Amino acid sequence: MTTLLKLENLNVSFKTPRGLLKAVRDVTVELQAGESLGVVGESGSGKTVLSRATMGLLPGTAVRTGAIWYQGTDISQLPKDEVRNLWGTGMAMIFQDPMTALNPVRRIGSQVTESLTVRLGMDKKAARARAIELLKRVRIPDPEAMLRKFPYQLSGGMRQRIMIAIAVSCNPELLFADEPTTALDVTVQAQVLELLDELREEFNTAMILVTHDLGVVAGHTDKIAVMYAGDLVEYAPTKDLFANMKMPYTEALLKSIPRLETPTGTRLPVIEGRLPDPTKDEPGCAFANRCPYVQDKCRAEKPALVDGGNNHFYRCWFPIGGAK
Amino acid sequence: MSDQTLANTTQDPETNVTEPTKEKKKRKRPIGFYIAGSWLSIVVLAAIFGPLLPLPAWDESFYDYLGSRPGTSGHILGTTQDGYDMLAGLVNGAKISASVSFVAVLLGGSIGSFIGITSAYYRGKFDTIVTGVFNVMLSIPNLVLSLALLSVLAYSDADHPATTSRRVMVLMLSLTIVIIPILGRIARASTLQWSGREFVIASKSMGTRNFTIIRKHILPNVAPALLAIAFLAIGSVIIVEGSLSILGIGVPGGASWGSMLANGRGNIAFSPHEVYMPSLCIAFTVISSNWFGDYVRSKLDLREAKI
Repeated sequence: MTTLLKLENLNVSFKTPRGLLKAVRDVTVELQAGESLGVVGESGSGKTVLSRATMGLLPGTAVRTGAIWYQGTDISQLPKDEVRNLWGTGMAMIFQDPMTALNPVRRIGSQVTESLTVRLGMDKKAARARAIELLKRVRIPDPEAMLRKFPYQLSGGMRQRIMIAIAVSCNPELLFADEPTTALDVTVQAQVLELLDELREEFNTAMILVTHDLGVVAGHTDKIAVMYAGDLVEYAPTKDLFANMKMPYTEALLKSIPRLETPTGTRLPVIEGRLPDPTKDEPGCAFANRCPYVQDKCRAEKPALVDGGNNHFYRCWFPIGGAK
Repeated sequence: MSDQTLANTTQDPETNVTEPTKEKKKRKRPIGFYIAGSWLSIVVLAAIFGPLLPLPAWDESFYDYLGSRPGTSGHILGTTQDGYDMLAGLVNGAKISASVSFVAVLLGGSIGSFIGITSAYYRGKFDTIVTGVFNVMLSIPNLVLSLALLSVLAYSDADHPATTSRRVMVLMLSLTIVIIPILGRIARASTLQWSGREFVIASKSMGTRNFTIIRKHILPNVAPALLAIAFLAIGSVIIVEGSLSILGIGVPGGASWGSMLANGRGNIAFSPHEVYMPSLCIAFTVISSNWFGDYVRSKLDLREAKI
C-alpha cells in the first residue's frame, strides 16, 4: 500500500477579535490508499476544521501551517487553482447536513450532473446517463424521476444519498465524510455507512470519517484519531484502540454513548465541564479539568504524543492500564 | 369511467410526490394580480404600439380645441389649454416613462447586481470599497442625485439647447446610476446570505469554478429578491422622473407623464383633466408595480418557508 495522504504538524488557527483561536494543533496523521480513518471528538474539538483544512476549504480568516502530503506532493504549498484541480477528482467531501448541502432551487439532476459536466467535461446526455447510474449505485429508486425533483421533495436519507452520489461522481481517491450520519435517523445511519463501505471497496477509495460517535467509527474504519481541543490525543488502529484504550478522554467518550441495557431512569453519563478556551494557551493537559484521573502533573505540564507500541499513540501522563 | 379513475389513482402517488407545485399554480390569484397586471400590460402595450394607434399627433396643437373637456369628439380625453391631445400625449408619455424606468432599472439592476454579487462573493478589499461607495450613493436622496447628474450631463442654455432625445438618454443614465446602489446592496446582502450556505461550499469542494458557482448556485437564489425590489424600483423611478420634470429638468415639451403634469399645472383651474390624467397614470403605474413587487416578495417568503 502506498501513502495517499500525510498530514505533518498541521496547525490551523483563526483570527478572531479575542485573539488567535487555535482550532487544530500540530496534528500528524497518515492514510494509505483505500484505508479509512475515523476522526473522533466532541463539538469544537477541531475535527471538521481538520478535514476542511486538508482540502483547503477554509475561510479567509484561517491561518494554516504544516505540510499536507497528497500522493507525494505538499498541496499546502500549491496555488489555489492547482488545489482546485484535485477537488472532486482527487478529494471530495460529503457534508454533514444534507438539508443545507443541496441547492434548494435547482433540480437534483442538474446538481448531480454539475461536476460531471464541469469537471469531467461530459456532454449533457452522457452526464445524465452517468447520473442515473450513480443514483442507482446509491440505491435510489426510480432515478429518472428523481433527477427532475427538487431537494425539498426528498427525505433526509435520500438527500444524503444524493450527496454521496455527487461526492463519488468523479471517482475521488479520498473521500471526506464530515459527520455524514449525524442529521439522519438511526435506522438510516447504518444504511448510509454500509453504502459508504461498499463504494469504498468498489472504487478503492480512502476515507476520512469525521464524527463524534465512537460507535459509528468502530465498524467502519481501519484507524482512529481522537481529537480534543485541537490536539490529537489518541491515534491507533481501530481494534487496538478499543482493546487497549489509553486516553481517559477516549474512555469518557465511549462511556457517554447511551446503552440499551442500563435500567430505565439511569442518568446519561456525561463528560463534566467544557472545552478549554481555544484562544488561550494554558499549561498542562487540555483535558485536565475534566479528567477523572487528574493529578498535579497534568495541570502543570502538557503531555506529548507518545508511542505506546503497535502504532498506538496517546497524549497522557497517566494512561489507562498503567504507564507504557 | 370507473376504470379510468382506478387507472388514475394508481398513478397518483407518483404525481402527488413530484408535482405539488402544479396544484399551487391552479390556486386562485388575488384580484390585485389581475388589476395591476392589466394596467401594466396596457402601459407596456401603449408604449410599444402607441405610434400605430389612430390618434392625433401628440405634439401638434389643435387651435380649434383649446382646453376641451374629456369626451370631445376627436379628442376623447380632451385637450390641454394649449390644444394638445391628452390621449395621444398620455400614450406617448407611456413610451417615455415606461422606457426610461424600464431601461434604468434593467441597466442599473444588472450592473448593480453584478457588482453586489461579485463583491459579496469574493469579499476582501473590493467589497469594502463597494460597500463604501454604495453607502455614499444611498446617503444622497434619489432626487438630488439625479438632479445633480442631469444638470451636469445635460446642461442646456439658450446657446446650447439640449435635444429631447439627449435629455432622455441622460435621464436614463442618471436614473441608472441612482438604481445601481439600490439593487446592488440588495444583491450583496442576499449573496452574503447564500454564499455561506453549505451547498455552495459543497459545489466548491467538487472543484467547480467560482464563476460557475455564482451563475448556477448564487444567481438563482438571489434573483427572486432582486425581481421583487426591481418592481419597487420601477415605481420610484417613475416618481423621480415626474419630480424632475416638475423641477424643469426632465424631458421637455410634455413628452413624458411628468412633463405633461409640469406643463399643465398652471392650468389646473381651467382644465383640471390636464393635471389629474397624467397624475393618475403615474399613480396607477407606481401602485401596480409596487403591488407586483410585494406579490413577488410574498411568493418568495412562502418558498423560503417551505424549504
